[in-house]
Amino acid sequence: MKYYAIRLLRSFLTLIIVVTIVFLLMRLMPIEGYFTNYDKLDEVQIEAKLENLGLLNPWYIQLKDFYGSLMKRDLGQSITYRPKVDITKILGDKLITSLRFGLVSLTISLVMGLSLGILMARYKGKFWDKFGTCYIVGANAIPAVIFYLLIQVYLTDLFKLPLLYDRTDAKSWILPILCLSLVNIAYYAMWIRRYMVDELNKDYVRLAKAKGLKNKDIMLKHVMRNAFVPMAQYLPASILYTVSGSIYVESLFSIPGTGGLLVTAIQRQDNTLVQALVLLYSSIGIVGLMLGDILMAAFDPRIRLSHEGGSR
Amino acid sequence: MKKLLSLLLVLVMILTACSDGETQAPQTPETPETPGSAEEQPEGTDGGKYAEEQVYKYTYAEEITTLNYLINTTWVDMSVAANLIDALAQYDKYGILQPALAESWKVSEDGLEWTFNLRKGVMWVDYEGNEIAETTAHDFVSSAKYILTKANESESANLVYSVIKNAEEYFNEEITDFSQVGVRAEDDYTLVYTLKKPVPYFESMLTYVSFFPVYGPFLEEMGDQFGTANSTLLYNGAYLLTEFEPQMQRLLTKNEAYWDKDNIFVKELNYKYNKEASALGGELFKRGEVSHAIIPPANLDEWMTNPELKDKVSPDRLGTYTFFYAFNFKPNFDAEYEPDNWKIAVNNSNFRKSIMSSFNRVASMATEDPYNPEFRIINTITPPNFASQDGLDFTDTGNLAKLNDVNFFNEDEAKAYKEKAVEELTAAGATFPVKILMPYNTNSSYWANEAQVVKQQLETLLGTDYIQITLLPHAPTGFLDGTRRAGNYSLMKVNWGPDYADPQTYTDPFERDGNYNFPEYTTDVNADGKNLYDVYEAMINEAKAEVIDLSKRYQLFADAEAMLIDNAFVVPYNVSGGDGYVASMVLPFERPYAPFGIATMTWKGAKILADPISMEEFEAAQEEWQAERNEALKEASN
Amino acid sequence: MTSKKIISKMSDNIDPSLFEFADCDESKSELIGYSNYSFWRSTIQVFIKNKAAVALLILIACVVLFTLIQPYLPNQKSPTQIYINPETNMQYRNVQPNEEFWFGSNSIGQDLWARIWSGTRTSLLIGVAVGLFEAVVGITVGALWGYVRKLDAIITEIYNVWDNIPSTVVLIILTYIMKPSIPTIIFAMCMTGWLQMARFVRNLIIIIRDREYNLASRCLGTPTSRIITKNLLPYLVSVIMLRMALAIPLAIGSEVFLSYIGMGLPVDIPSLGNLINEGRALMMDPNQRYQLFFPAAVISVVTISFYVIGNVFADSADPRNHV
Repeated sequence: MKYYAIRLLRSFLTLIIVVTIVFLLMRLMPIEGYFTNYDKLDEVQIEAKLENLGLLNPWYIQLKDFYGSLMKRDLGQSITYRPKVDITKILGDKLITSLRFGLVSLTISLVMGLSLGILMARYKGKFWDKFGTCYIVGANAIPAVIFYLLIQVYLTDLFKLPLLYDRTDAKSWILPILCLSLVNIAYYAMWIRRYMVDELNKDYVRLAKAKGLKNKDIMLKHVMRNAFVPMAQYLPASILYTVSGSIYVESLFSIPGTGGLLVTAIQRQDNTLVQALVLLYSSIGIVGLMLGDILMAAFDPRIRLSHEGGSR
Repeated sequence: MKKLLSLLLVLVMILTACSDGETQAPQTPETPETPGSAEEQPEGTDGGKYAEEQVYKYTYAEEITTLNYLINTTWVDMSVAANLIDALAQYDKYGILQPALAESWKVSEDGLEWTFNLRKGVMWVDYEGNEIAETTAHDFVSSAKYILTKANESESANLVYSVIKNAEEYFNEEITDFSQVGVRAEDDYTLVYTLKKPVPYFESMLTYVSFFPVYGPFLEEMGDQFGTANSTLLYNGAYLLTEFEPQMQRLLTKNEAYWDKDNIFVKELNYKYNKEASALGGELFKRGEVSHAIIPPANLDEWMTNPELKDKVSPDRLGTYTFFYAFNFKPNFDAEYEPDNWKIAVNNSNFRKSIMSSFNRVASMATEDPYNPEFRIINTITPPNFASQDGLDFTDTGNLAKLNDVNFFNEDEAKAYKEKAVEELTAAGATFPVKILMPYNTNSSYWANEAQVVKQQLETLLGTDYIQITLLPHAPTGFLDGTRRAGNYSLMKVNWGPDYADPQTYTDPFERDGNYNFPEYTTDVNADGKNLYDVYEAMINEAKAEVIDLSKRYQLFADAEAMLIDNAFVVPYNVSGGDGYVASMVLPFERPYAPFGIATMTWKGAKILADPISMEEFEAAQEEWQAERNEALKEASN
Repeated sequence: MTSKKIISKMSDNIDPSLFEFADCDESKSELIGYSNYSFWRSTIQVFIKNKAAVALLILIACVVLFTLIQPYLPNQKSPTQIYINPETNMQYRNVQPNEEFWFGSNSIGQDLWARIWSGTRTSLLIGVAVGLFEAVVGITVGALWGYVRKLDAIITEIYNVWDNIPSTVVLIILTYIMKPSIPTIIFAMCMTGWLQMARFVRNLIIIIRDREYNLASRCLGTPTSRIITKNLLPYLVSVIMLRMALAIPLAIGSEVFLSYIGMGLPVDIPSLGNLINEGRALMMDPNQRYQLFFPAAVISVVTISFYVIGNVFADSADPRNHV
């Protein structure tokens, strides 16, 4: 417990460091990017806007102002993306949309991916293994950017599905989720198969077979639990990161989520939006890493994060 | 295994249940018919030419940043605002200024005072159509005050203070009493602008967002939230923004309280956002889901070679931004590209002319427009149909007229100039090959392609012993500051768009202390030994001073521009082509036309067609329009 | 020779001449039993048994070899040269594959055959450079992170800081300061790539670090480096091999992504990312699909090969599968 408390405290410090670094990096960008019509503006206008945005102050003053408003729970307003609009207002709906899509897709991927992987490990070398390998390889061979477009154009034609996402139309959910899940299923299947195959070669499995346990029991009660441990580390982070959306899928299907928002914000040099997003994503990343460790230790009691055993 | 399957089934059921339960139907009336049905149309559709359902659907890739039209001057933002707010005057489809919010106006003898009589009964409404107040002259004063307040960060402030008396002083906070600024409302319906000096093109500026009205009390109430959503805006234009969800969709519906509503035929403008609109637009059009789609040059072949699709493609009308290749007279780049050597070479007329004559603009234009590359190529810096006096288009005035039929690309002449240049430059101490640095912006793959074509084309024709072009890919971040404005180039494609409808605007890039190609640093002299830039500067100063006799004014500007081109200070290239090639159900010639500004984005008088336009229809319509415009211009000047 | 006599003692009726004394060599008692088992050799033997993997290995080797020798073959065109049709004086736009342009030409008249091989060279170079860096730095840092608890705190926080700074910001600033070019992209991708490998290795090491055999080694006073290299890493060989094999396809995928958001290599340097994005716009045109097909085919071949090879190699690296 003490270990986690200390770690949380450290995380705050890390968060501050990350946000500060990004803050300073953004201020390295050229001033040209803050304006939409830079060429036609007079010097006076440029100065006026930069001063309003606080960009002419020395960097420590800017930092101080930023943290000051953060203390007051004020994330600020967007500068260039949607000027004068509160960031919380911009992000609110988008996060929820991405979260929804992400969670549904994650669940499907996990369920189907793990099932496929288990089948592949169980029937190694036979039909399921070959089929699974073909699927995994096929899903990864063509760059996602292409086969999402292929799916969108050809499957909508074939199955008469709507081309773009529409909040009111349930059928328009199918293809985006399909796209999101396809690659993830392959990922989970491949790795769980790897871990399970390694486990299946261990001695305790041989003992269990010798003792006459049913294959199903061996797989699910013993092997699975051990094989899943390395993947458990990534699970909380995956769940939390669903808020960040997928840039390919959301662009193609007109889904108003956060995918690509960070990239757009950076390219448009919208400092406040970038800082807010980095704050959010960093928190998620840090917490996700920690929760992942906790989950991993929960699955495998031999793992001790705080007591010293065989490690230095 | 079974457990997993059943779990999956449960999940799928939950999923479908979930998404059904949240149908929160927006107020959009779902448009029942897709435009483009070819059966017999009932009356009102001009015998089947126009669609029955006058609804415009479009998928756009770039979202507007704000609805506050007093601040932003990006094309995307203004194109929406233009439909929501009316101005004092507006252009009609021939590009002739017509009264809008102002019924009539007059200018004083000395050209400094403009008095406008406003139309009565024009109401400000909110996004639901509820009337709030009447549009009065005070609204123009309010907008001017807002724009000229530095703290509001308006990007159009410089347009206002370049002409209005005391406006710049107020902006710089040298005076704090706004009543001293040259805009005042004499009474509710009389508006007076006082200018710093006579400005012959002042009327054209009135159509721009910088002179739009705003309802003062509402603006104050909203504070900095003005224009952040459709509910924080008031409308007196042709359309209301009934729905606006950024990055999703927007819906404009006809304003039933509009004073000119009988001339608005398209009832609804329905926009949906999709970042990949360029990849999907064509597909959506084929399925009848949109009325207008941009066909990117890469997909053009597909449409043009398919007999079914061929007749659905047409070019968009020409825009007003012009592009030209500029020679840099103040080189400021790395020593490895030999700036000193470039400085010697660029000041030699024959050198510049040799490059200009070996530039095959058709070949490089073909990278963007493979089917009709000559369509957009122009021989002047100011585009045609921009400004005219007495029915004579600016590009047909003065010395510019003879440039119209010239083809700069001439191999023999190029070789002749090259020989002379080699002779003169070796005598002046230059080394060959002359290194040429040509930057381009990596965010445009078309520009990248064009740069490669130009480089290879020039080098092949003139020989790599004469010139050696190095392409400099530059990231879009800080592009202008890193290349053109810093003088970090030898030859580069640059562009300029007009700020008002007068040829003077196209001389702005070449002014002393500008940041385009620094022509004031040239040491090249003409036959009489006078520095070429001094001659040019004298010519445009004379032209600027001429504010009474506009024909003479235009002629002086035309001669000045011709001088620049004759001496190869720049190589004129092309004019922007709007959206490029489109599949469209709207004939652009039915919409208002303006040589600059946003009139082309409005809808007065336009209707949705029943069928897409084909190339032939476009060309026929263009000829018709051009003839009608010339007629109308002649009439208007009488 | 069958004998019908009853034998009561083993030594009855056995002719002593049938026996000889064996030699006794004292030195042989010094020999220690050994087997000529070599881990890697057995791995390779098992690997070779899988025909598909071997075939793909040969295929990818051929592809790499071909990209290297292609410029030196006769009749090859330059990847950036624009080919002008002498009759029309215009570029050879979008020519379908024919004898002149084996893979066809692109929209400004460049030879797609040359561009694809040049692009594959570039992308493979980026992939290998990034993959190697990832492997070396990632495994080292990951092992230390996982094993040495004292370093856990500091490396975790370094990981957190480094991972959460958006790579887009870093990339934009890098391309702004340095020109957009191959070294810039390799640098940027290396900076961010090793983090995932490090985390991966760290997770695996955390699982096994406290096991009894490690405790035993520690008791015996084995130095950290030896524990890591002899106790921990060999245990993880199969998964690490799989991860490393995937590094190259993943690097190519990142490059495609960077080109998609506009942060990739400039178009005048052909790379698989650029070619794919250019070809993507032409997907729906049957006459121009070849511009997408060829780069996609090359990427597919590379990806499929590495995936299968990686999986099979990992399978065969398990000592329990060895002969």
